[in-house]
Amino acid sequence: MDKAFDNSGLEQALRSGAVVQGGFLGSDPRPLTRIIEEDLRTLEGLGYTPQRVAQRMAELTAAAAPRLESWYNINDNIRVRCEEVRGVIVCPWPHAGRFDKRITIAHRLDLDRSIRWTDLNIHLIGEHSFFEGRGSHFRLDPDELIGIIFTP
Amino acid sequence: MKQAQTSQAATSPEKTQRPCRIDINGRRTIAVAPGGSLLSVLADHDIRLPSACGGRAACGLCKLKVLSDAGPILPPEAKRLSQTEQAGRVRLACQVLVNADLSIRIPDELLTVAEYRCVCAGIEDLTADMKRFHLKLEDPPAIDFIPGQYVQLCCPAYPGHAEELWRAYSVASDPARNDAIDLIIRRTANGISTTYCFDYLKTGDGVRINGPYGDFHLSDAQTPMLFIAGGSGIAPFVSILHHMRNISIARKVAFLFGANRVRDLCLIDEMRQFERTISNFTFIPVVAEPEPDSGWTGETGLVTQAVDRMFTDLNGYEAYLCGSPGMIDAAIAVLSRKNLPDDRIFYDKFA
Repeated sequence: MDKAFDNSGLEQALRSGAVVQGGFLGSDPRPLTRIIEEDLRTLEGLGYTPQRVAQRMAELTAAAAPRLESWYNINDNIRVRCEEVRGVIVCPWPHAGRFDKRITIAHRLDLDRSIRWTDLNIHLIGEHSFFEGRGSHFRLDPDELIGIIFTP
Repeated sequence: MKQAQTSQAATSPEKTQRPCRIDINGRRTIAVAPGGSLLSVLADHDIRLPSACGGRAACGLCKLKVLSDAGPILPPEAKRLSQTEQAGRVRLACQVLVNADLSIRIPDELLTVAEYRCVCAGIEDLTADMKRFHLKLEDPPAIDFIPGQYVQLCCPAYPGHAEELWRAYSVASDPARNDAIDLIIRRTANGISTTYCFDYLKTGDGVRINGPYGDFHLSDAQTPMLFIAGGSGIAPFVSILHHMRNISIARKVAFLFGANRVRDLCLIDEMRQFERTISNFTFIPVVAEPEPDSGWTGETGLVTQAVDRMFTDLNGYEAYLCGSPGMIDAAIAVLSRKNLPDDRIFYDKFA
């Protein structure tokens, strides 16, 4: 991440609870740059890029969306469903980006573990390498996420 | 990484301490003290634009046209406006700082929007994650709305959420009874407003709403109609059906209401009552995955699949849809295949 980048305004917006309950950084005391850098290191260690992870999440969401909240089996090990509610949510970064309030739930049948993400999560990971801060409602731990969405 | 810029209101080059005059639609002029945002000074004069982000240029709802110079559009505002909108002098009212005389244009229907103090007169469980909230109006004591329109509910600060915000919900009650409204709200996981409504709002509490907003309402045509909804998308149709009964609209209507499970269906008895009291109205609940022990004998599958099965040609119909963007998109695709032109499809997307 560019160390010269002045993200004080962005970080303030991410900590604010104005857009999402509890803010995007949750209770995480780490600065934004460190949160992103540490998650990127985790991803690198697992052999993935944020773009590859976001692409897989988008694929799963796209498979679930036409089922209108019903479960859809991707294969024998993973099923997905989407929930949609009224409204849109905007990307806190300074660029155009509005996303439907859609939550995708992925359930690994073989592990009996689930994880959920929003359309905004997909964008934040793919475009900003941001998995949100610890304690935020939609924080996605990279290792947990990868362990569920990429089947062996 | 793209450069971030701190959000700040646009400023006009002409700064003055005298009252600023705001010409509204060429028909009314208000005088305001300089220094406030256009959104807030209009609200001070009872002109309320929709806004769901507390004036942070995040929701992009408070759009209006500013014909006079209102200063440059800075990045936080620019990212909410298309190039066409910017060329057409559209601005976000929350980002325009009033420091000079302005000439603005607002849709006429917004000039009738008002803020109402209400009391929560009752909360009713509809399903495991949907409730109906009965709000009794106190000041002003009555609201006039077109069936299908929505209001904004004020979500105040509560433990874990420090800031007030507004969220949109369709009115789900009889428009003939204008001293109270009902809202049907589905819980959103960790949603700011629905957490307030489900966990903090109690019967007897004071609440604020503003409105009405929106252009989702029945046309004057006499064609048969298809209503399609899922989940809390049933809300505007409750209001519309009351209206149809009140004024004896006898257009042929089939209402397909989709739910994931039988336990997710709601208002069945009220819909059956509408069937008995509205000529030519048929209610068709559709359950995607009925519980094995539910004894469900009605339509199954996705609501859009039911439309596909039940209708062969919808030419000559009108369709009214309310629900998630995914449901709306899927429904439009089916309706188009059934020869229903786009200009006969009306929808209230949850967006």
